[in-house]
Amino acid sequence: MTCPHLEYRTDGDGQSFDTARAYCGVTESFVQPMRADVCNDRYDFNHAAHCEVFLEHEAAGGGDGGTNTETQEKRGSGPDREGEES
Amino acid sequence: MTYDEFLAGDPVVVTAALTGGVHGKEANPNLPETPEEIGRAAAAAAAAGAAVVHVHARKPNGERSFATERFQAIDDEIRARADDVVIQHSTGGTGAPDDVRHQPLRTDPPPEMASLDMGPLNRYRHLTSENTRALVDSLYDEMRERGVKPELEVFNDGHLNEAHQFLDRRDVDAPVYATLIFGPGTLTRPRPRNLLNLVSNLPAGAQFNTLGFGRHQLPLATLGLLLGGHVRVGLEDNVYYERGELATSNAQLVERIVRVADELGRPVATPAQAREILGL
Repeated sequence: MTCPHLEYRTDGDGQSFDTARAYCGVTESFVQPMRADVCNDRYDFNHAAHCEVFLEHEAAGGGDGGTNTETQEKRGSGPDREGEES
Repeated sequence: MTYDEFLAGDPVVVTAALTGGVHGKEANPNLPETPEEIGRAAAAAAAAGAAVVHVHARKPNGERSFATERFQAIDDEIRARADDVVIQHSTGGTGAPDDVRHQPLRTDPPPEMASLDMGPLNRYRHLTSENTRALVDSLYDEMRERGVKPELEVFNDGHLNEAHQFLDRRDVDAPVYATLIFGPGTLTRPRPRNLLNLVSNLPAGAQFNTLGFGRHQLPLATLGLLLGGHVRVGLEDNVYYERGELATSNAQLVERIVRVADELGRPVATPAQAREILGL
């Protein structure tokens, strides 16, 4: 089961793409490609266990799906460059 | 490799890491994702002085792909535009099953080089890329079978221990080629003294490559040049040209380090020279 906050969009957060990309309804931003595998529960990933955005949103009582919380840092976009696998 | 190699003016091998497997166009719209975009980026980077291109594959929507077919499509696009450049595939893949990690090695022809992550690294808050010794050995064994040169990726000091132990377990053709990686999190703290320390602890006869993430890319690559090493730049590792200014292309980052190498008296290796230096 994919994350309930995952959408595929071509526009959002001031960006526009030709092909629809993974978009996080919590952070209201496009998702890094590696994070998109977590959102989609691919391989050994499980968004409910591995995504801190989902977990923090749930803990804050936002489990009704898709509502942004002001405390959420926008983690979906930009290179965090932490442990890039080469 | 030492300062003596710098004084001797030995050629430097420049690697361009074009795409990566973590961020995408949401971070920098100039980052190439499709096979055609990667092919064009490789050709431009090669024209700017890169002898090696480090390749990850993506799906049409920018998400990660490990499929042999996708790497094949990328290689075909690269060879159509820059048939002499050395192609290096990534075998990295946080969360991907071990058998999937082998798929980038199975193109026809195989890549001349492929990355080999030397150990675990943390990712985000709840993930770890394990890179077990069993997987390292398994990937290397297939590389050897296919004639692929491993690029040992040393993300921290512990990984250098792992590299030494790996070389005890497996026979690797000389010269051993290790990329020393600096950045946040699990990576070696990006400070000059740490590069000096890692270089002094390399396996005997090893060639090294310097990889700094983000704003550390240019200064640590420059130090790598002074220490007689090779360098890696590109949008995989750094999406900015300078603070607050996104890089316009991989080639822009290659051009800058080539200018620095030229000023320091390090000629930039052609692909043919790179093949000789790296024993391909």
